[in-house]
Amino acid sequence: MVANAARDETRPDPDSLLAANRPEGRGRLTIFLGAAPGVGKTFAMLSRARALRAQGVDVAVGLAETHGRSETAQLLDGLETLSRRHVAYRGRMIEAFDLDAALARHPRVLVVDELAASNPEGSRHPKRHQDIEELLTAGIDVWTALNIQHLESLTDVVADITGVRVQERVPDLLLSKADDIVLVDLPPAELIARLKEGKVYLPDSARRAAERFFRLGNLTALRELALRRTADRVDDDVVDYLKSHAIEGVWAASERLIVCVGPDTLSEKVVRTASRIASGLNAPWLVVSLERADREPSDPADPGRIEALFRFAETLGAQTRRLIASDFVAELLKLARREHATQIVLGVPTTRRRLFRLRPSLADELAAQAAGIGLHLVTGSAEPRPPRRTRRQDWMPRLLAACVACLAVAGATLTGLGIEQVVPLSNVSLLLLLAVVVAAIRAGYASALLAAVLSGLAYNFFFIPPLYTFTIASPHEVFAFVIFLLAALIAGGLASRVREQARTALSRAIVVQSLYDFARKLSGTARTEDVLWASVSQLHESFGRAAVFLTPSEAGELALAAAWPPDAELDVSDLTAARWAFSHREPAGHDTGTLPASPYQFRPLTSPHGVIGVCGLRWDAGPVDALSERMLLAVMDQAAVAIDRARLAQESIAQAARLQGDTLRAALLSSISHDLRTPLATITGAVTSLRQLGTRMSPESRDDLLLTIEEESSRLSRFVANLLDMTRIEAGTLDATRDWLDVGDVIRAAVERGARYFPDLAVETAIAPDLPLLRGDGVLLGQVLFNLIDNAAKYAAGAPVRILARMESGQLVLSMTDGGPGLPAEDLEAVFEKFFRRGGPDGRAPGTGLGLSIARGFVEAMGGSITAESPVENRRGTGIVMRFPVSPPETPEACSP
Amino acid sequence: MNADRILVVDDEPQIQRFLRPALGAAGYDVVEAATGAAALKAAATLAPDVIILDLGLPDMDGKEVVAQLRGWSQVPIIILSARDRESEKIAALDLGADDYIEKPFGIGELTARIRAALRHKLRQEAGSERVCMDGLEIDTLRRLVSRDGAPVKLTPKEYDLLVLLARHAGRVVTHRTLLTSVWGPAHGEDLHYLRVFIGQLRQKIERDPARPAIIRTEPGVGYRFAEEE
Repeated sequence: MVANAARDETRPDPDSLLAANRPEGRGRLTIFLGAAPGVGKTFAMLSRARALRAQGVDVAVGLAETHGRSETAQLLDGLETLSRRHVAYRGRMIEAFDLDAALARHPRVLVVDELAASNPEGSRHPKRHQDIEELLTAGIDVWTALNIQHLESLTDVVADITGVRVQERVPDLLLSKADDIVLVDLPPAELIARLKEGKVYLPDSARRAAERFFRLGNLTALRELALRRTADRVDDDVVDYLKSHAIEGVWAASERLIVCVGPDTLSEKVVRTASRIASGLNAPWLVVSLERADREPSDPADPGRIEALFRFAETLGAQTRRLIASDFVAELLKLARREHATQIVLGVPTTRRRLFRLRPSLADELAAQAAGIGLHLVTGSAEPRPPRRTRRQDWMPRLLAACVACLAVAGATLTGLGIEQVVPLSNVSLLLLLAVVVAAIRAGYASALLAAVLSGLAYNFFFIPPLYTFTIASPHEVFAFVIFLLAALIAGGLASRVREQARTALSRAIVVQSLYDFARKLSGTARTEDVLWASVSQLHESFGRAAVFLTPSEAGELALAAAWPPDAELDVSDLTAARWAFSHREPAGHDTGTLPASPYQFRPLTSPHGVIGVCGLRWDAGPVDALSERMLLAVMDQAAVAIDRARLAQESIAQAARLQGDTLRAALLSSISHDLRTPLATITGAVTSLRQLGTRMSPESRDDLLLTIEEESSRLSRFVANLLDMTRIEAGTLDATRDWLDVGDVIRAAVERGARYFPDLAVETAIAPDLPLLRGDGVLLGQVLFNLIDNAAKYAAGAPVRILARMESGQLVLSMTDGGPGLPAEDLEAVFEKFFRRGGPDGRAPGTGLGLSIARGFVEAMGGSITAESPVENRRGTGIVMRFPVSPPETPEACSP
Repeated sequence: MNADRILVVDDEPQIQRFLRPALGAAGYDVVEAATGAAALKAAATLAPDVIILDLGLPDMDGKEVVAQLRGWSQVPIIILSARDRESEKIAALDLGADDYIEKPFGIGELTARIRAALRHKLRQEAGSERVCMDGLEIDTLRRLVSRDGAPVKLTPKEYDLLVLLARHAGRVVTHRTLLTSVWGPAHGEDLHYLRVFIGQLRQKIERDPARPAIIRTEPGVGYRFAEEE
């Protein structure tokens, strides 16, 4: 059963290698461990610091408690001591360790005394060990001091030995993560002597308690704990060394623990005990919570308790998992085999002895079935939880349940009595049973119980002779009554269980459905902002709390990107917490170890490409339940993936745009070289011919050359004007004036201008009477129309052109149609792109490819739209249609004389 | 020969080079200035009949030249402007310039503008009370308007508008000028008044209101009362 795969391998164990190689740039943690206050930890630490300083190492003292002892204080001379922060606390100023100053100073080695201390309220982290964690992450080596009694897993043991329950506790993980442990040891007798000489500092208030604490027995026991812990640690180091150097076969087959916990108070003790066993065996351990698959927890606070327990176990170095099953024993054993567990640890409450044990306890069943796996039972009293204060608010549904029960029974009784009037009914009890089942299904177990009792009474009162008394005459009726009562209770129980299962299934289905909806919503979004908005609104909808997302700007500064409700605001401390969560990739804010004063809890959004933002959820209403927690994680995961996807999409669009920009530049160059050169060449050629050979030419040819010059100049001039317009559109400097235009007027002016340039083109206009005034830029609109006429002259092959202006569903529609060959469907949109050109009737591309593109730029600048359609009629013709929104101006007051 | 004198203000030698012979051939006496200061001096000393002014000058803003000239002279000013300087052109017209022509232009267009300006100068000096155009007759003395002999009934504002345009026949009148003269200084931006009234006016005086021949639209700038050549 036990895994022995690692045995026959002589390669170094990767885990050991990882343990040996600390993350790049992380500082080393050295803990000076002592059995009790006064053994000389600070003294030892400072002496070493001085020695290191003498060797020229950059050592600084962040915090050292000398407790007024002169010999310790002398050690501080010549050592650099960092300034402390002054904090107002309960009306007086106290000094506190200044984390930011230490980070800014960044010495090689920093001495920070008292690992177990708490920080004053309002600090970044509530606990000093969290400060130290941050210093280590920043790459600073930290020396600190710790008394063994503060270790989390020893709380129970220390309380048993000393009778004092330690408040300041430190996760065991810190000790096992420490790179070096220095044991500062002093025989207990000597320590007591020092205490009597007054060499151990104790505040007056603590003196009496301390006298009980500093007894020889206590100190000896604590010393043993400290020595043993250090020895375990040395043992670990040896094993790690052997493993990482691939030395074979000295260590025992690895043990693995599975620890079963629930929401009861005993579970905390189970976890602590398991932690000690695990560290004693040097075994990995997995904490498993057991939840019934078919019903919701009886107390809604239970998932929260289990979450808290999990977090606690994780600080002690455990892995955690939720086990949802209907058959605990089978699932647990399956898990144990899969995980190659060698021991199972579980708690057995001692106080509650059940009179009727309907089924064997979990421990009994495991003992019967778990062959080859050790069982470790932790006994203790599972104290009942204090009654919840929220109970009072629950009376409404209870009253309702009672009403349902009464009504169901009353209804059944009346029906029974009614039927008895007509025909004698032999088993009226079935009718009453039905009432119990109805109550169970409608209002749950409590209602079913009440209904069972009520229907029993009603049965007795109305239907068992003597009628209308609660007495029963014949013995066999007593028997029938008891059977009825039992049947009612069992039926009610079963029916309410069905109801419970249905409700559980429903609430899980709702979560699944909403996650599914969310996923579908996300799959339709391509932009990061849309993903963020969808995510915050989803969170708000699911949790009924304010939700925010923060993402880094291009400058790397984290800023609010989306919030729901949209007016939710973050203050400076919230932002600080969010930034911390972002840079440290760990949760921060409310209910965490960092900046808990913020009402939000911030969690980093991680994707395969790193941290891409922070999600914040209002947390001051209390933690969310386990189902919601899973939902939160799922939403965050999906959001992270979607944001990542959106980012990639946006990057590829930007890439495509760059490519397109290059293509455009190339097209521009070719266009300019062609469209500028051809007229210039023609003009130069004609002019030089005239100057040099003009006298020998006939007047007709001279005239023809001059006409050519005039025409080519005008072509050149239009091209330059187009380039200029395009540049204005591209540069965004086009600012359309918003004058009131008489559209008919603008059309007429454009047609006149067109007639000057293209005298052969026939243009008809049809302008609806009483067109409203249009708000826009007359020059731009005129240029658009001129460009369209210009195009028609090139492509319409001499067919007449019609310009129409009319109102259509509240919009002013301007259209120009020609009778030319028309456009293929795939070009209808492409014609508006820059430098798109089609061959003219003679196969040449006479245009610059700018006309329609400019037209679109101008029309959009005026708030309108422009599209192409083809064919227009008889499978020929192209129509360009512009639509403008119209809002009438207030009528001039002077319209009447 | 008593030829009309034209002052051409432009710092581009190429433009001067082609205007001088062209305008000379058309029978005008051409004088040149390349800067704003030289232009003002020439306008004071040489008494030109028309000034052709480019807005882009090296030493001062063309608009400033117009403003200073209008301080003491009513000589017609024709603005030479580029297409991307729409707003400057209109500002210069509002400051008192008489007309404009866009670069590039044909010489025929320019001489037509010059003739219109000169005629206007004559008319101003003669103090004409009658305007006739394409069958339309305006008698400013009796405030009567008739179309082919039949009287046309105009509202006072329509009449004011028509007379203002007719007095500047052949030359552009800006929207702002029309609005502030007819409706008052507070209505300089109320372009929709003007659009409505011009529409009404055209209905009453044009032969074919859909193809107006008397009051022509200058897109983005204003209106021009046509002139019989």
